[in-house]
Amino acid sequence: MRIPKYGRILASLVCLTALAVCFFVPGIGRDAAAEQKTLTMGTSPDYPPYENVDAAGSGDIVGLDVDIANYIADKLGYKLVIAPSDFDGLIAALQTKRVDFVMSGMSVTDERKKSVDFSDTYYQARNTIVSLNDSPYENLEELKGKRVGVQLGSTQETVANGLPDVQVTKLNKIPDLIQALKANRIDAIILEDAVAAGYVGANADLKFAMVPASGDDEGYAIAFPKGSPLVPEFNTVLNQMKQDGTLQTMIDKWFGTQTSTDQGGKGGLNFAKLRDYAGYLFRGVYVTLLFTLVSAAFGFVWGAILSLFKISGIAPLRWFSTVYTSVFRGTPLLLQLLLFYYAIPQLFHYNIPALLAAGLAFGLNSAAYLSETIRGGILAVDKGQREASLALGIPYRTMMVSIIMPQAIKNILPALVNECVALVKESSLVSVIGVADLLRRANVVQANTFLAFEPLIVVAAIYYALVLVLTSLARLLERRMRRSD
Amino acid sequence: MIKVEHLFKSYGKHEVLRDISTTVESGEVVAVIGPSGSGKSTFLRCLNLLETPTSGKIVVNGADLTDRKTDITKVRQRIGMVFQHFHLFPHMTVMENLIFAPTRVKGLSRGEAQAKGMQLLERVGLRDKADVFPSKLSGGQKQRVAIARSLAMDPDIMLFDEPTSALDPEMVKEVLAVIRDLASSGMTMLIVTHEMKFAREAADTIYFLDGGRLLERSSPDRFFARPETERAARFLEQVL
Repeated sequence: MRIPKYGRILASLVCLTALAVCFFVPGIGRDAAAEQKTLTMGTSPDYPPYENVDAAGSGDIVGLDVDIANYIADKLGYKLVIAPSDFDGLIAALQTKRVDFVMSGMSVTDERKKSVDFSDTYYQARNTIVSLNDSPYENLEELKGKRVGVQLGSTQETVANGLPDVQVTKLNKIPDLIQALKANRIDAIILEDAVAAGYVGANADLKFAMVPASGDDEGYAIAFPKGSPLVPEFNTVLNQMKQDGTLQTMIDKWFGTQTSTDQGGKGGLNFAKLRDYAGYLFRGVYVTLLFTLVSAAFGFVWGAILSLFKISGIAPLRWFSTVYTSVFRGTPLLLQLLLFYYAIPQLFHYNIPALLAAGLAFGLNSAAYLSETIRGGILAVDKGQREASLALGIPYRTMMVSIIMPQAIKNILPALVNECVALVKESSLVSVIGVADLLRRANVVQANTFLAFEPLIVVAAIYYALVLVLTSLARLLERRMRRSD
Repeated sequence: MIKVEHLFKSYGKHEVLRDISTTVESGEVVAVIGPSGSGKSTFLRCLNLLETPTSGKIVVNGADLTDRKTDITKVRQRIGMVFQHFHLFPHMTVMENLIFAPTRVKGLSRGEAQAKGMQLLERVGLRDKADVFPSKLSGGQKQRVAIARSLAMDPDIMLFDEPTSALDPEMVKEVLAVIRDLASSGMTMLIVTHEMKFAREAADTIYFLDGGRLLERSSPDRFFARPETERAARFLEQVL
C-alpha cells in the first residue's frame, strides 16, 4: 500500500543523510585519538618525481619530497600526514594552518617569502623549454612574440612574466599545459627539468631544451607558516642529510628511474598505458556517487524545508529563505566550496574534512535551487487537496508530508532529475580541494602516465555512463508514480 | 448541535455574510438554497473554519470555533465535509483514501480501518473499487468515495457543498441516494444544493439565503408551498 511508502521514502532519505554525515564525521576524532604527534604536509601530487599518487599500486602519495618529509618527521619524532590539494591552494593552506608545512617542488621566491617562511633549499632544479618537435624552441630569446604556458603560481610563471613581448598562459596543472601545447594553443611551456624529462619521455612528439640557470633561482625548499618554530628543527635534519649523503641517495633513487618511461606512439591516442590504473579510476565512481547522493539527499530535505518557509505565514521565515536563496544562487558554487573548506577551520577551529566540506557546500547550494522548484510544485497542487485534508482534521505536518509533497514531487520529478544529473557532473569541482573523485583521479593518472588526453576521455565516458544509469532509474520511478493516473 | 450567532464575513469591502444567527439541532437535516452568490457556500465553510468569520460566534458540539484557544483540528475531526469537486487524494487508492485519516489522525489500526472502510464502500455501493485509483472512477463514484472518506472519521455532523453540481445528470441520482440514506440514519447534516426536489424530500429544514442574509428558515412543505418573502417566491419561480 502506498501511503506509508511515501513516508518510508522520506524517512529513508533523512536516515541516509544522517548516515552519510556520520560516515564523514569520524575524521574529527581521528587526529586527536592518534597517540603519536602528527605533522601535516601540504602537497600537490601531480608532479612526479617529486610527488604523485602511486595510482597503479598502493594509491599512496610517493616521491622525492615525500621521502625527505618522512625522514625528517621521523627524526623529529612525528608521524607524517599528507594533505593533497592543488598547487595554487598550498600557500592558502599554510596561512589558514590547515597544514604544518608544504613540500611540493616549491621554489623560494621573494614574493612567497612575504607570506611564508622557508627552510634551506634541498634541491636545485633547472628550467627547460618544452615544445613540439615540429616547431622547436631552443632558448628564451626565441620565445619573443610567442605564446608561452606555465603552471599557475610556479616560479616558471615569474620567469615567463620577465620575458619581453611574450603572451603568458597560466594553467593549474601540467597535463593541461601539455594538452594546450599539443592543440597549438601555446607554442612552448617553461617547465623544470625532471618533470619535462618525464613528459618528453612519454610523448614522442615533444622535445625539451635546457635553460641556463639564472642567479635568482634559489632552488626548492620547504615552506612553513610565518614564524613557525619548525624551521630550525627541519634545517638541522636537512643539513645532516646533506652531510651524510642521505639526500643525494634519495635524489638518485627518484631521478634515476625517471628517464626509462619511454615509448609512446607518435601522435594517436595511447590507452594501453591506462590499464594499470583502471581499478584506481573506478574507485572514483564510488566517491563521486557517494558524494552526489549525500549532497542530493541533503539538498532535497533542506530545500523542501526552505520551500515550506517560503509559503509559510511567518514573515521572518519567508525573509530568511528568500535571502538564503538569493545569496546561494548569486555566488559561484566553486567559490562557496573554497570558502567552506578554508573558512570553517579558521572560524570554528574545526578542521573540516574535504568531503564533508564539499557535501555541505553542494547540499546548501542545491537546496537553494530546489527550494524554488519544490515551491512551484507545491503551488501547482490543487488547493482542494489542502481543504480536504483540513476538513478531515489532518494536522499540517502530516498533510504536507503525505498529501501535498508526494503530489508536488510527482509534478517536479523531471526538474529533480535535472538537478541530480547536474550534481553528478558538478561534483567534479570537489577535485580542487583534493577529494579523490573521478576527475581528480584522472588528473593523477595524467601526472603519472604523462598522458594528457586519454585519462580525460575515459573519465568522460564514466560520467556519461553514470548519468545514463541515473536517468533510467528516474524513468522507472516516474512510471511508478504515474500509476495512479 | 451547531449554534451560530451574528455571523458576519467580508472580503475587504465586500460583505458576503450579514448577521446570520441560527441553531441546527442534533439529527436535523438542513438544505441551504438560494441564488448563486448568496453566500451559501461561505456559510457552510465557516462552520468548520475553512473560512474565518469576520465577526460573530459559532459553537459546534460545545466548542467555540471563534475562540483562539479551541483546537480546530480536533473539532474538524468530528465534522465531515464533501466538496463539489470531490478532492480525493489522487496518489492513493480508494481504500487508502478511506483509511488515511482514521489511521494517521485517530490512531486506528490498519486492520480496523480497512474493515470499516470496506463496510462504508459497501454502503455507498463501491465494494469492488477498493484498490482502484480515483482517476479510474466516474464523477458519481468519486463523490460516493468522498462521502465514504468523510464517514470513515465517524463524524457527528456532515457538510455537503453542492455535492452534485459537478456531476453529469445521470450520476446525480446515485449520489443523492447515498445522501438521502445518510439523512434517514439520523446524521446532522447541512447540504448546499440546487436540487429542489431533493431538498424538499430529504430535508427537515430549508434555509433560504440571499445577499448574505438568512431570509427564510422553515419546513420544506411550507417553504415550497408558501414562501414568506417575495425574493424567495421569485427564486422558486425561476428554478421550479
